[in-house]
Amino acid sequence: MLRNANLQDLRKKIGGMIDQRVRAITAGLSLNELRALVRGEPPTEKPNPRYKVHTTSFLFHIRPRYYERGSTIFAHTFRLGFFTSFFFFVEVITGLILMVYYTPSPSEAYNSILKLMTNVPFGQMLRDIHRLGAEGMVIFTTLHMLRTFFTGSYKKERSFTWLTGVALLGITLFLSFSGYLLPWDQLAYWAVTIGTSMAEAAPVFGNEVNLLMRGSPDIAANGLLRFYLLHVVLMPFAAILVISIHYYKVSREHGISLPAKYIEGDVAPGVAKEAKTRIDFLPDLLTHEVFLTALGLLALVLGVTVFGYHAPLENIADPQVTPLDTKAPWYFWWLQGMLKLGDKSLMGIVLPTIIVAILVGVPYIDRNPHRSLYKRPLAVSLGLVAVLALIVLSYMGLPQYGIKTSAATRIVQDLAPQEGAGPVHLIPYNQLQSGVYEVNQSPDRNLCPEVDYGCPELESVFGSYTERVNNAINVGDLPAANAVMLIEDWQQDLKKVTFRIIWEEDEQSKTYERHLYLHRERGAE
Amino acid sequence: MSRVNLEITLGILLVLITSSVILFYGLREEERMAEYKAWEKARSIEVGAELFSAQCSRCHGTQGLGIVGLCPPLNDRYFFDDRLADVEWSGTMEDYIVATVSSGRMASTRPQLYPGEGTPAMPSFHENYGGPLREDQVRSIAAFILNWEETAQLIEVATGPVEDAVGTDITVELPEGDAAKGEALAVSIGCAACHIQAPTGPAWLADSGQAGIGERAAQRIADPDYTGNAQTAEQYLLESIVMPGVYMVPDYQDLMPNNYGDTLAKQDVADLIAYMLTLK
Repeated sequence: MLRNANLQDLRKKIGGMIDQRVRAITAGLSLNELRALVRGEPPTEKPNPRYKVHTTSFLFHIRPRYYERGSTIFAHTFRLGFFTSFFFFVEVITGLILMVYYTPSPSEAYNSILKLMTNVPFGQMLRDIHRLGAEGMVIFTTLHMLRTFFTGSYKKERSFTWLTGVALLGITLFLSFSGYLLPWDQLAYWAVTIGTSMAEAAPVFGNEVNLLMRGSPDIAANGLLRFYLLHVVLMPFAAILVISIHYYKVSREHGISLPAKYIEGDVAPGVAKEAKTRIDFLPDLLTHEVFLTALGLLALVLGVTVFGYHAPLENIADPQVTPLDTKAPWYFWWLQGMLKLGDKSLMGIVLPTIIVAILVGVPYIDRNPHRSLYKRPLAVSLGLVAVLALIVLSYMGLPQYGIKTSAATRIVQDLAPQEGAGPVHLIPYNQLQSGVYEVNQSPDRNLCPEVDYGCPELESVFGSYTERVNNAINVGDLPAANAVMLIEDWQQDLKKVTFRIIWEEDEQSKTYERHLYLHRERGAE
Repeated sequence: MSRVNLEITLGILLVLITSSVILFYGLREEERMAEYKAWEKARSIEVGAELFSAQCSRCHGTQGLGIVGLCPPLNDRYFFDDRLADVEWSGTMEDYIVATVSSGRMASTRPQLYPGEGTPAMPSFHENYGGPLREDQVRSIAAFILNWEETAQLIEVATGPVEDAVGTDITVELPEGDAAKGEALAVSIGCAACHIQAPTGPAWLADSGQAGIGERAAQRIADPDYTGNAQTAEQYLLESIVMPGVYMVPDYQDLMPNNYGDTLAKQDVADLIAYMLTLK
């Protein structure tokens, strides 16, 4: 009896001590309460200890106590804001690890990426996730803004939140852009050269801004260091600051906006009331966030494994060689498209400034008190026009649009681009049979009878070469053209492929010639 | 099942799936890194090939077979097997190539055979030593040259005058030539180093828009700009071999050794000419 009683005492005592520790760590939740929490059961004590956490714990005090049921409907928010911040955290974590392996100097930067790829287990995955996360953040930030615009959630008390959101859009774009240069490959180098040259268009201080960013007239060691520091110090700090403000406004001040129909629509009073009932942060919102995080992580991991998204790495940056078809990162294509439309200062600086001013001013320009789509036709249609314009301008920003390249250059560039892989690079090595393949002279099928299975890929490349050249002859771009594709054995496991097009222009014979070397290990299997 | 339970369950499931995907991915990491290394080396060789043809081939030959009287062969068994020992180099082959390409050569180590271009015999190529190339580019060139290691043949160079040398009289009577022997000779004495697709010498083979050397030889003597004395295609070819400076094909420089009259026998030249005339 006595021993049993003692044991019970002891258990109680130990239980009490554990409970005390747990309460200290969880800022007031007991062990029982935690159990109830993860089981989705109601609170075990009164007053509700789950609310107390929001004042006693730092991490919880920045979280909302509750959201209104109606505002958490998936089709209203699409969780876009959540995923934007999810991507930000992914970027911070992967970025911190990547920093361990990276050296910001032109002679070492590219090598450090190569080492990451060849010597660090999961190095490629890390890089791929960081890159995919960056793309995701840009996409989700933009979508989040569009959603906010179309649901009219930027009005009245939320207008300052909108303003911080616009700032975050800019910060996100610049974060992504400043990271673009770091691998120091041709793609990065020229995309950033183009990007910064837009700043040059600014009147009066354009050159100075450009110089300040690049560190010298061309991007070199100083420029790389500046972009690196912007990318890992200044921009992340700016992002953390503005995200905090943005999030605090939403979580602690005005909450997520309710869909307009519950406020302005003809819904039954019961429905509207139901939409305003509270969903507590603990446990409902928190478990939902954890679930979404797991979902997001899976999506990222599947993206870089099963779906094969890979961060590109081209040849090392070469300031002497501008590859054809250089372009800005895709989220700046619209700006490149605008630059093709007119004067550099007007299109590169004045209009973008006006666009930013309009974005900032949206809540103040749009005085319409209604939020429903149907009650603000002008704002909605202008929004749709803006989205369309963005898409069309982005298309016009592509290097293929509106830039005149000679027909011969274009044909060869499309088959064998200077950077990245084209159809020629995808020909399996054993199909690269040495020989002279002459357009309209060589047979168009059965090009390599010595190979057991023939060479369908080589034939298809030669076929499209023939077709493109003949088209150009027919429309008069390459009069009397004589085009060959020459494949030579160059070295062990190395072939040399030459494209040569000779045509008549102004009674002169002109030649375009391009050589490329293809190694067995680089081609498709 | 409440929503909280459902989300916790699903969340755990998702985390498990994610972890197993990462695990399976991780099993292939060693292999992937090795593949990437091979891929990167291949890229380096491709880049090196391009740089070699732009920077080195004018002197060392398009295929690295060297040019007698100018620069030594690199695509050469001797170069890979015995060169390091002969110059008492203590590092690796790659070090040797990188060092030589980077800083060049003030004086040739074999001035009789390969005097180079004077002083310096070979210019420096690394940007740190006043050259045009970056470190990675020099390393790519080394990767390209090293890729010859397995296939390189021994290049033999005729050093002194031979018996029955052909001389420099282009009207000399030549014996009957054998085209097959001539073709082998074109490789072993190094003609092929420059006279295929090359910036150094005019290519022999027919190519689009241009006939082979056999046909061009006959056309050339009728050309009003032609400054030599040949009356027939055979004489033109002989003249081009033994006195390369008499007439320069437009756009080319006088880089060809001018001692073939002493080092080639009549039979050899006859074989070479017979071979060239088959290239229409």
